[in-house]
Amino acid sequence: MSVVRQIARDEARYWRRSQLAVAASVLFLLLAVVTLVVTALRISHETTLRAHHQAEAEAAFLAQPDRHPHRMIHYGHFVFRTPPPLARFDPGIDAVTGSALFLEGHRQNSASFAEAGASAYLGGLSWLTPALVYQLFAPLLLIILGHGALAREREGRTLQALASLGITPGQLVLGKGLALGAALGLALIPLVLTVALGVGAGEAFAPALGMIGAYALYLGLWAGVALLFSSVLAERGAVLVALTALWLALTLLLPSLAVNNTERLVPIEGKTEGDLALLSELRKLGDGHNAADPAFAKLKQDLLDQYNVDSVEALPVNFRGIVASKAEADLTETMNRFAEARMRQEAAQNSLLARHGWLSPLLALAEASRALAGTDLANHHRFLREAEALRFDFVQRLNGVHAEGLSYLDDVRRSSDPEAEARTRVSGENWQVLQAFRFEPQAPAARLEAAGESLLILLVWCLGLMLALKRFAGRLAP
Amino acid sequence: MSDVKPAALEAERLSVLRGGRAVLSELSFSVAPGEVYGLLGGNGVGKSTTLLTFLGFLKPASGQARVQGRPVSEDVAGARRAMAYLPESAALYEHLSAYENLAYFLELAGLERDRAAMEAALDRVALRPDAREQALGGYSKGMRQKVAIALALLRDAPLLLLDEPTSGLDPTAIDEFHDLVRALADGGKAVLMVTHDVYGACQVADRIGLLKGGALVGEFAAGPAGSISTEQVHRAFTAGAPA
Repeated sequence: MSVVRQIARDEARYWRRSQLAVAASVLFLLLAVVTLVVTALRISHETTLRAHHQAEAEAAFLAQPDRHPHRMIHYGHFVFRTPPPLARFDPGIDAVTGSALFLEGHRQNSASFAEAGASAYLGGLSWLTPALVYQLFAPLLLIILGHGALAREREGRTLQALASLGITPGQLVLGKGLALGAALGLALIPLVLTVALGVGAGEAFAPALGMIGAYALYLGLWAGVALLFSSVLAERGAVLVALTALWLALTLLLPSLAVNNTERLVPIEGKTEGDLALLSELRKLGDGHNAADPAFAKLKQDLLDQYNVDSVEALPVNFRGIVASKAEADLTETMNRFAEARMRQEAAQNSLLARHGWLSPLLALAEASRALAGTDLANHHRFLREAEALRFDFVQRLNGVHAEGLSYLDDVRRSSDPEAEARTRVSGENWQVLQAFRFEPQAPAARLEAAGESLLILLVWCLGLMLALKRFAGRLAP
Repeated sequence: MSDVKPAALEAERLSVLRGGRAVLSELSFSVAPGEVYGLLGGNGVGKSTTLLTFLGFLKPASGQARVQGRPVSEDVAGARRAMAYLPESAALYEHLSAYENLAYFLELAGLERDRAAMEAALDRVALRPDAREQALGGYSKGMRQKVAIALALLRDAPLLLLDEPTSGLDPTAIDEFHDLVRALADGGKAVLMVTHDVYGACQVADRIGLLKGGALVGEFAAGPAGSISTEQVHRAFTAGAPA
């Protein structure tokens, strides 16, 4: 057996006999397994529930009786964002963005929380996801295991004894690093199993491997930090204090400061201000419910000219339906402009926050993890855009039915003439214009690309640390 | 061709600086195979520095430290392989038992020794059999020292460097230790023992070098055939010059 492996084997033997190391390992594994099971059950439940709600909402829409198509536009429809397979490891921003969206004519609603039981998840430690356990607590485990790796040898003067046997600092550091690497590998087993379950549930291999690689890099980085401090500082106590302080700074303090800094550098106006500004813009547009609105005078004239008739009553299409369609298109264009601007701001904020990963690797890992899982902001925006496309599509198709299938005169008289009102009710078969909705996260390649910069940050951290280890650990003096 | 064997250990006009301060100043002495050389001196005179220089942990500012005729700086690994070093506090692992410590250090040194050999070495240093499977965390200093000596025996290195080896041991353990060192030297090992224990040095050493201020101020033949008494060495130690 090589010297490096012998040193690694002895380090592992030391941990097995250390109450602190054993307790920390058991606690971490317990925490990881419990959060994995709880989160997997929750995500599985939510997946089933949201799929059920989606099917129910679609069936309810399609089962509506014959009625005026514009009433169906206001009847509306729900869409649900079903969690992707890797959400059982990293649910990402799901908990704060909402997963259900009510789609209706003339407005873009905000996502909300659909599950009746969702409030139960707002209390306690429901925020404690497996991803967070690995991001926050796995480094602590590595600190506990690794802080004494080299300092213990110096304190016990065994560093000198080893050197007198011809063991080089490089062999010692490699041996300790190998032991920490093995511990890291064991700590990753629950993650690997969860990701494998995700692959079994339909996830592609590339993001799954990327997820494992990202966490391996992050934990490798912490193992390296522990070794570096253990090689530089003289006493185990000092190493532990310094590493704990660094852990607090990199995982709690800096991310918090980064959020504040990001909000300061890329401010986003509040929802109320944004809604008021949008409303002000929308008021400049015509009222789609009022065909006589002067905003549609040109539309009216163009149609009259196109069909060479004198009045809207003589048009072969229902002018009210045409107005509704035009108004919806104008409204949607304005709403999309505001929505896209807001999403651009949110994406810029998110991107800047992720770049703080150069200061705190946790931020880089968190971003990569969410991107690979398909639970990041980009995928939430994708959900909003897909839902909006569906909304606009079914609203305009119903406006098409309104324009093509209803007589203008019946439409005008339906409030005062029951017979006309009856004739404006179109067949329920028309509700088939609604397309089935099933949200899928970005394609694997796109998710890998989205995680690329954060993975690069983690890689640079690791390389920097390896260089530092080579520089400082090589100087390990007995 | 000369029949003269090279000294096992030799310091030639050896000067060493630590923190910019001269700790050893033109120190010269040698230890022959089969000889116990006691380097005697008070605290901070450069005794441990001498050992660390032979081990290659410190580099001479001038002069040379030679192991088996070869400058340490030319082959540090070879020099270390030739020496078994016992620091003042035995550098062993507290989470391991005596057997495990021996097995681990021997594996690292690339030496294969079976359980029987370890048993024999521990018998020779008279470590209590019932303690051998226990972790060293519960050992007394004397017991640890015995394990360290057993390791040196098992390594079978031709040179032994001992740094205050009897410090903290009870009189019986000191006597046992001296007997063991004497036996090892009689078996051909070269032993360099640095100590401030005048009586111990006189009891076990063949020659004694008196170190003061980093320089050798006297060298005496000691032991049964020695030319100087313990009292004379003691006076020299306290006065700084031979009587």
